[in-house]
Amino acid sequence: MPVMVELQSGPEMKVETLVKRLREEVGAEWVLTSPSDLRTYECDGLTGWRQAPIAVVLPATTDEVSRVLALCHLLGVPFVARGSGTGLSGGALPVEDGIVIGLSRMRSILSVDLENERVVVQPGVPNLQVTQAVQAAGYFYAPDPSSQRVCSIGGNVAENSGGAHCLKYGFTTNHVTAATLVLSDGRVAHLGSQCPDSPGLDLLGVLIGSEGTLGVVTEVTLRIVRSPERIQTLLAAFDSTDGAGQAVAAIIAAGIVPAAMEMMDRATIEAVEATMHAGYPNCGAALLVELDGPAPECESLFQEVSALCQRVGATEVRVAADERERALLWKGRRGAFSAMGRVSPDYYVQDGVVPRSRLAEVLAGIGQLEAKHGLRVANVFHAGDGNLHPLILYDRRSPGGAGRARELAEDILGLCLAAGGSLTGEHGVGRDKVCQMPRLFSVSDQEVMCRVRTAFDPSGLANPGKLLPTPRLCGEHPGIYRPHPIELAGQAERL
Amino acid sequence: MKAPSAPELTELLGPGAVLPSTDALPVRVHPSSVEQVSALLALANSRGWVVLPQGGGTKAGWGGGTGICDLVLEMTGLNQLVEHEPGDLICVAGAGMRLGRLQEIVSRAPGYQQRLMLDAPQGSRATLGGLVATRASGPLRTRYGTMRDLLLGAQFVLADGTIARTGGKVVKNVAGYDLDKLLVGSNGSLAVLVEVALRLHPVPSGRASVVLAHATPQRAASFLAALRRVPAVPSIAEVLWPERTVLVQLESSPEGAERQAELVAAIDPEARQLDDAEWEHWHRTLSSRPWEGDGVVAGLALPLSRIPNLLFLAEQMDQKGVDFSLSLRGTVGVGEIRLPSVEGTVRGFREALESMDGELEIHRGSGVVGQMGSTLSDPISRTLSAAVKRALDPRGTLAPWRVTEPSPFSSGAADGPDCG
Repeated sequence: MPVMVELQSGPEMKVETLVKRLREEVGAEWVLTSPSDLRTYECDGLTGWRQAPIAVVLPATTDEVSRVLALCHLLGVPFVARGSGTGLSGGALPVEDGIVIGLSRMRSILSVDLENERVVVQPGVPNLQVTQAVQAAGYFYAPDPSSQRVCSIGGNVAENSGGAHCLKYGFTTNHVTAATLVLSDGRVAHLGSQCPDSPGLDLLGVLIGSEGTLGVVTEVTLRIVRSPERIQTLLAAFDSTDGAGQAVAAIIAAGIVPAAMEMMDRATIEAVEATMHAGYPNCGAALLVELDGPAPECESLFQEVSALCQRVGATEVRVAADERERALLWKGRRGAFSAMGRVSPDYYVQDGVVPRSRLAEVLAGIGQLEAKHGLRVANVFHAGDGNLHPLILYDRRSPGGAGRARELAEDILGLCLAAGGSLTGEHGVGRDKVCQMPRLFSVSDQEVMCRVRTAFDPSGLANPGKLLPTPRLCGEHPGIYRPHPIELAGQAERL
Repeated sequence: MKAPSAPELTELLGPGAVLPSTDALPVRVHPSSVEQVSALLALANSRGWVVLPQGGGTKAGWGGGTGICDLVLEMTGLNQLVEHEPGDLICVAGAGMRLGRLQEIVSRAPGYQQRLMLDAPQGSRATLGGLVATRASGPLRTRYGTMRDLLLGAQFVLADGTIARTGGKVVKNVAGYDLDKLLVGSNGSLAVLVEVALRLHPVPSGRASVVLAHATPQRAASFLAALRRVPAVPSIAEVLWPERTVLVQLESSPEGAERQAELVAAIDPEARQLDDAEWEHWHRTLSSRPWEGDGVVAGLALPLSRIPNLLFLAEQMDQKGVDFSLSLRGTVGVGEIRLPSVEGTVRGFREALESMDGELEIHRGSGVVGQMGSTLSDPISRTLSAAVKRALDPRGTLAPWRVTEPSPFSSGAADGPDCG
């Protein structure tokens, strides 16, 4: 049934109408409008970007989300879906004159089906709770972003989140088999099924990693995996990142795919030791390698990895003897970002990707950029898949500090792209890198993405200004503009 | 609409690119560059011709069959290796390269043992682009997935001639929409693939295998359920019916494979390890098996908990004397079935599978029964699929009959020239 609204003139009147109608749809207490309430929602984990929304709505059901979006559609109000707000690319940054749809009330695990190895959850469920719900039965949910205690499955779907163990197990996209998607006009689509390899176009595959620009996900079917029989973890110390890089190359060449392979440089190790005393060796680089699988396989490969590290010059190889020691080895890696927050007034995390074989040269290049910009960079990253996380340390109170950090971050991306890598491995484009997209994708590439976006969201109300650049955000497209055939035919206008 | 003519296309592409044809339509062209593909599609699009992209032609019946078209784009000319970086476990190649050729190239890297872990039917002759477009897979699907899990990036040409890229050549990448996924399984209906970047896997050094033969449906199902619980990670776990056989392959370090095979063989007193010669005998037949013999071939998928129901159904069909063969990845719930080309039999199987919450996609034998799956039955998903098709190919130039309208009991083609 069409929703009848008295369309009043003037922006204030529109806001009033919107808020009144939202309260009718979800209940007055679940629509936040006071400045103090809104402040919580004005940024995500990338705190440099801030924008207060006109309201925050906290729906509890798919039906409520559908009615909220139908209302947004009617009034032309943009919306941004938000999970736990831990994203690092400003993907959940509110838009001016828009609302935020907080999914924190939708945090139920709807079903656990061990026989079919599926768990159905609402989007607000924290990532770790999925594993907690099935681990007693011998299963786990494989994607494990560092923020897994807090970050939500809905956010994971939006960002196609990875984590330290995705080297072996894959990303969110490899572990979601179905999702309920509310489109920007309020219609509800059911994508995928509990079966693998569902016939028809893989709309679910496009939805995952679409950063909230195709609609709002309200239910997700996850595939769970058998817990490995054995997990073994070692920490190898090297004089330099070059040495640790050689160990990575040797492990890959030996045909071994570790469950995780993480590298930390001297600056990171020092910060971790200064703040959390993980007991790491004093060295130029540390490589954390974790293997898992059936016990005999794990044990034989573990011996091989240990020997390979020593052969390429590890000064020390420390093996976790039990779960407590394993947790200690991981403590430093998992806490590296927060350790930086304590040794430096401010830091910015870059998320570039390089082909594994180019790691050494890119790390050397980052070293040169540090000198050029006069800022320190601490490197902690997923070495197995080439996903770098250089932490650029700066002080926003020093003149030009933030600007230099940003320039350095962009120069690092330049190194990654020149080596054949990517802008982002797991944090997403969001608002942060939207203007960097033309460095990786041509105008045509972006235009094709825009066509797909428009097929899902013709109104352009779903998280506008994220993922794809617009002239308003980024200026005109760089390079020579060539009109598109569709544009020439008068079927579309220039974006 | 003026039909494509060989002289006009020869003028556009140069001599040799238009293949001699006895019939007037469809004209078959053999482009050898991305630019030629783009120019051809732009021309076809402006003239309203319907185009069918084709790789090795080994899966022409997939995704709704060959339909009616004016122009067939034979893509095997775009077959160059762009890059193989063994240290990164990736390769980049023209979409027209045949899988057999790619495997040869990547297996030659000194100091490495790696491969594209895909054993789709007639795979060595199939092209990489065709394997992406059809999402075909074989027994190794159990451990390594389909092209959905192996494709890292692609270059493609839209119907209007636009050349674009998606993804990249690194294993971890979330920049922009994951259009790779949209291309996988799109059966050539959204874009023509011209280059693909693929993830390779190391070939494990050890291998062992186990067979459970002469099983009842109940026994095979119990064996599979137990297989999912023992600490073993099979690369193949294939159920064959009416042979009443389950085949399991374990790949790992030599001692790891041996130990896992012992665990698997211990599940059932009738199960036993196979020696290399026995395994080779079985393995040769595995991936091509449902494709041998006449009849309809369909891909199927179902929830793991329904596998016993499917095996009971297969047993009943065998007892009734139905000529069929079923290959099922028993720890995943996907497989293929060959059925006799009898509408009642196919329809009956489809209905039985539907009652098991299963899904079905006809790969060979149009005119009997169409696809069945939740993306196809959910009305909003169907609308979205059609919107995506319109967004990328507004004039319906590329294999328009392969878009996802479910065609429960209809044949794809009416009259007119067939593109197969």
